[in-house]
Amino acid sequence: MQHIWENILYHLQYRPDAPMIFSSALFWCLFIVVMPLYAMIKRSRTQMVLFVVAFSLYFYYKSSGLFFLLLVGTSLVDWTLSRLLVKLISIAARRLCVAVSIITSLSVLVYFKYANFFLWNWNQMVEGNFQPLDIILPVGISFYTFQSISYIVDVYKGKVEPTARWIDYIFFLSFFPALVAGPIVRADYFLPQLRNNHPPLKAEIYWGFWLIIVGILKKAIIADYICQYNDLIFAEPTGYTGFESLMGAIGYTVQIYCDFSGYSDMAIGIALIMGFRLGINFNFPYKSRNLTDFWRRWHISLSSWLRDYLYIPLGGNRKGTLRTYINNFLTMLIGGLWHGAAWKFVFWGAMHGVGLAVHKACHPWLKRIPDTWPVKAVSWSLTMLYVSMLWVFFRANDWSDAWLIIHNIFTNFQSATIMPFFQARATWAIMMGIIIVTHALPTRWVSAIGRGFVRSNWIIKLVVFIVTVQLVIEFMSAEVMPFIYFQF
Amino acid sequence: MRRGYLGLWAILVITFAIMLFASQHDSIAFASYQLKTSSLWEEIFGTPRSQSDEDISSLSTEEIIALSQSKVEKVETDTLPKRILFIGDSMLEGLYPRLAAYAKANGHSLYCVIWYSSTSKVWGESTHIPEYIKQFDPDYVFISLGANELFVKDIEKQRDKYVKKILSEIDPIPYVWIGPPNWKEDTGINRLIASNAAQGTFFLSNGMHFDRKSDGAHPTSASAALWMDSIVRWMPKHCAHPIKMDMPSEKSARANRVVVLQPTDK
Repeated sequence: MQHIWENILYHLQYRPDAPMIFSSALFWCLFIVVMPLYAMIKRSRTQMVLFVVAFSLYFYYKSSGLFFLLLVGTSLVDWTLSRLLVKLISIAARRLCVAVSIITSLSVLVYFKYANFFLWNWNQMVEGNFQPLDIILPVGISFYTFQSISYIVDVYKGKVEPTARWIDYIFFLSFFPALVAGPIVRADYFLPQLRNNHPPLKAEIYWGFWLIIVGILKKAIIADYICQYNDLIFAEPTGYTGFESLMGAIGYTVQIYCDFSGYSDMAIGIALIMGFRLGINFNFPYKSRNLTDFWRRWHISLSSWLRDYLYIPLGGNRKGTLRTYINNFLTMLIGGLWHGAAWKFVFWGAMHGVGLAVHKACHPWLKRIPDTWPVKAVSWSLTMLYVSMLWVFFRANDWSDAWLIIHNIFTNFQSATIMPFFQARATWAIMMGIIIVTHALPTRWVSAIGRGFVRSNWIIKLVVFIVTVQLVIEFMSAEVMPFIYFQF
Repeated sequence: MRRGYLGLWAILVITFAIMLFASQHDSIAFASYQLKTSSLWEEIFGTPRSQSDEDISSLSTEEIIALSQSKVEKVETDTLPKRILFIGDSMLEGLYPRLAAYAKANGHSLYCVIWYSSTSKVWGESTHIPEYIKQFDPDYVFISLGANELFVKDIEKQRDKYVKKILSEIDPIPYVWIGPPNWKEDTGINRLIASNAAQGTFFLSNGMHFDRKSDGAHPTSASAALWMDSIVRWMPKHCAHPIKMDMPSEKSARANRVVVLQPTDK
């Protein structure tokens, strides 16, 4: 018995190398305990809020240790300022309130995420000798900082009524399904759900469960499996033929989608089981036939946040064509920097900005072309080529590695390796094929499978879940890959 | 509790119970297929990690060396260039770039076969070792295996024949078997390898300190390079077949060839 307690305590305490993620056994063991308690107290809003906040803070503690106090501090500052904001009449004072809140949130983010990036650049510019600071990035800080900014701005604009109780605000900010890797939840969408506190319908609970199963399949099976090959290509770009490098680049394109959308599916599913809707975050992005469409389908919560809180305040498309392109470019540039403190992310964002501007500029001519199948195929291919190439810069360790991979693809293709590659990596190819086929199918077919699961017999649901968990165990590599977006 | 929640909760509890029950076994036969099991049982009912860490640290260096059977008479270092074959599990990913740097600096060539999630069992059941020996014609072999079977129950019964088979397939080529970098006390894989390997051919990694990746198992690149350095430092005094391994100026290098096998490969 002593052993069991020691083991349980060991797993429950904070360890930097063991963050709590939705595909871990620990999370599901805890969820088995938490779910019935939640179901019993769901009707009492205060009890439910207190319970979920406590679990969310523990969830964050398990991933980031004492940084959960930073989250509590941020929420206290935001909530106090939001309460003050509604009492103030003077526009200048109200603006000052918003500015203080945004500067506070951004300062914390900039310190933890970008301080060493600035120091590195400063050293490069002045040949300085500043040592990098010993900073640990709190998990999910980029996500909850954006939520905090949107909250105070929406309160200022009158779109959102500030919560009367601090506990309700921290419930919104720390809601564990969306805490560490999004989706970025908006207060105007989320807080009314908290006020209403409707218990979920049975169909919603099982639709959430279906999303969790899909998320596990994407993240814990496909993404974690195919990444083993992709990592080799990106670790040693010159060690492989052009064809193998091309497969690595396409592989990463699929991997990042499965990894991130799989996480989002799990987060949305868990929230739905708890009776909260987080909105859609991915809508088959690789079906896009242009970059504008891609950004309407990829990480929707981020792209819509950037649109509403950056692009539109910059002037959006209201200040002429040139300014529209510049605003688009700047928004994507900052979006790139949000993904990580490195020039490769800035470049990735900037190139998406350029792509969006080019698409907007060409749109008047493009829309005159008849929308036939060959045109669709060409536009899809061009979009995917551009997106995949930019993922190479996003993933590669540095510029030179990214260029090496691309150079390798075009100059050292070696078509003789195609057949041996597929013979040796049949499982990898099948997993890639599953995602490609899923994207090729009509969306309504994919939804129909989900609805079929929700309507199915309880025994079938049980069998599907057991098979899913067993598949995870079968494909589980020796190493557990954290979510890619966990790092942002 | 609402019916929807009750039904879902029942699914989760039943699945957990099945997985926990299955995890008592190393694998379960199902229609001629061996289903893998999780480490749930070990994580809940096994030796607590804090206690196992104490067990490791309580061993003296002499005891660790004795366990690895690495006390051998001093042997002259073979200074001829070698064709080195390095086989094993995902631990190779961290080890081989540093070994490649040693190989490059000392005139050796290095061929690596990384089989992800592999164990002595899958290598023993396959015909890969003779195939790769034939393909690369090595005159020295490094093996890094055991990390994926640290917690296998009844290890002697389960794995002894496979360890013996691997060693017999490598024989008579000189080799070094690099033991797994334990993150928790094992159920006997280190003892099993040490008892089968010839004197001075097993490097015990258990008890060393590693900085680990976020998975808690794999050493970081820097830590894996130091691990390889430790193996190289161990070789002149304790290895039965020391080869020339002067310190390289480069931190890492590329192997002449890296073959990758996936967990599902046979």
